[in-house]
Amino acid sequence: MADYVQMWKDLGMDIEAHDLLCQVLPTAVGDVFMSQENRPTAMDFWDMVIAEVHGIRPAELLEAQKQGRKVFGTFCVFVPDEVVIAADGIVTGLCGGSQFWVPAGETVLPRSTCPLIKASVGARLSKTCPFFRIADMYVGETTCDGKKKAYEILGREVPMHIMDLPQMKRPKDIVKWKEEIAEFAKVVEEFTGNEITAEKLGNAIRIVNEKRKALKRVYDARKSECLPISGRDALLMIQISFFDDPERCAKMCNRLADELEQRIRDGVSVVPEGTKRILVTGTPLAVPNWKLHNIIETSGAAVVCEEMCTGTRYFENLVDETAVTLDEQFMALSERYMKNNCACFTPNTGRIDDILRLVKEYKVDGVIDCSLKFCCLYDTEKYNVSRALKEAGVPVLSLETDYTDTDAEQLRTRIGAFIEMLQ
Amino acid sequence: MSGQDLRYYILFEDYTHGMALHELMLADGIPHRIVPAPRSLQGEVSCGMALMVKPCDIEAARACIERHRAAHHSIAALEGQIRPRRDRYC
Repeated sequence: MADYVQMWKDLGMDIEAHDLLCQVLPTAVGDVFMSQENRPTAMDFWDMVIAEVHGIRPAELLEAQKQGRKVFGTFCVFVPDEVVIAADGIVTGLCGGSQFWVPAGETVLPRSTCPLIKASVGARLSKTCPFFRIADMYVGETTCDGKKKAYEILGREVPMHIMDLPQMKRPKDIVKWKEEIAEFAKVVEEFTGNEITAEKLGNAIRIVNEKRKALKRVYDARKSECLPISGRDALLMIQISFFDDPERCAKMCNRLADELEQRIRDGVSVVPEGTKRILVTGTPLAVPNWKLHNIIETSGAAVVCEEMCTGTRYFENLVDETAVTLDEQFMALSERYMKNNCACFTPNTGRIDDILRLVKEYKVDGVIDCSLKFCCLYDTEKYNVSRALKEAGVPVLSLETDYTDTDAEQLRTRIGAFIEMLQ
Repeated sequence: MSGQDLRYYILFEDYTHGMALHELMLADGIPHRIVPAPRSLQGEVSCGMALMVKPCDIEAARACIERHRAAHHSIAALEGQIRPRRDRYC
């Protein structure tokens, strides 16, 4: 990937350390994705993106910066992309999904912090991720304690804005989040130098809604008993959607959905008839975290849905496009985003309702509820999730893992036994 | 090298060349996938992407390159690159 070495040097990256990260990518991509037969042709876009993951998109962002545009790095599905887009800014996801970044994160964070947070901080501190170098401003949110403290550390490196997310969903909390969005809009206006008008925000709302609709089309295809795409491929698609231009993302997802819908009409499945269908729920799976899906799908089952931030929560529920004034639009945004059922809320019964609904919609045989180590919120919520699923007669397996490879065999044993039990 | 897991990798000096050949091979119906160039080959070229082709399709791919005079750096054959249960993640 020497094409980009000068770009990485200009970004102040540690070239030697970054090269170590580049070494493992081809192996993982080969094992996880290229081992599959009969993948949709339209996955070629995401194959290209992942093959050049630290090259093409970072180069695009740098070119946009030369044109005077600002890049906002985000860590959570609660940050409204629409506000940034309305000010001609660009959003890029920043969550770290690689064990490679964890040790650097542990130099400043307790080991008893979840790997997603440690990897995100480590990616910045180790100077081995171009996205963390490019973003002009980071936007955090008060979803969990680990992230809140991590943002204090990252805020020493990069301009940081924190959105104060309510922890309940009462009417006054919806209003509170609307006010946070309005305040964020002012910050974005000041940082970009561009005014956010109702017309621009309305257009941005439509752009992001179109992206959500396109992602939903792909997911809807996974509801078919004739499964046209693997869980690994769908996961890659949604992971990359956090980094991509939203209009291109919608175009590519619609292209993929066209092919998947044709496959269903033609009876083309990626798995043999009778393959057990798994819904995965829990903590998000940031790129390049493919461990859980790969283990499930090389153990004889198929992942048909992800109830998580890197899954249905990212695209379900559209923002009302009929709002006219900025005030109404901020409220419409708040109402949509506050429908996300994150474990940071209490109570969070909406998540259980979602899981039970998705089990039916996606014709699920069993649920795997998996949290990252030291994610207290999702780990604690497993009790209620497990109880509700058992009451509904849905088999459930609760797991905890991290980004290392060391527990892979243990996971294979437990997941293999669970799938065997579903037969 | 005749193992079942043998794969051919078409390498490029620029990803735009790789995408151009990808489109040509798609149009000609030659099965292939876009992949990150295997580490052992990356030192030879300046581009991260490669096109991966199975042994049964490599002659068609070579003919496609010849027919269209498609820009590429080289073609390399490697075994043991794909092991779905290796459990080596990033």
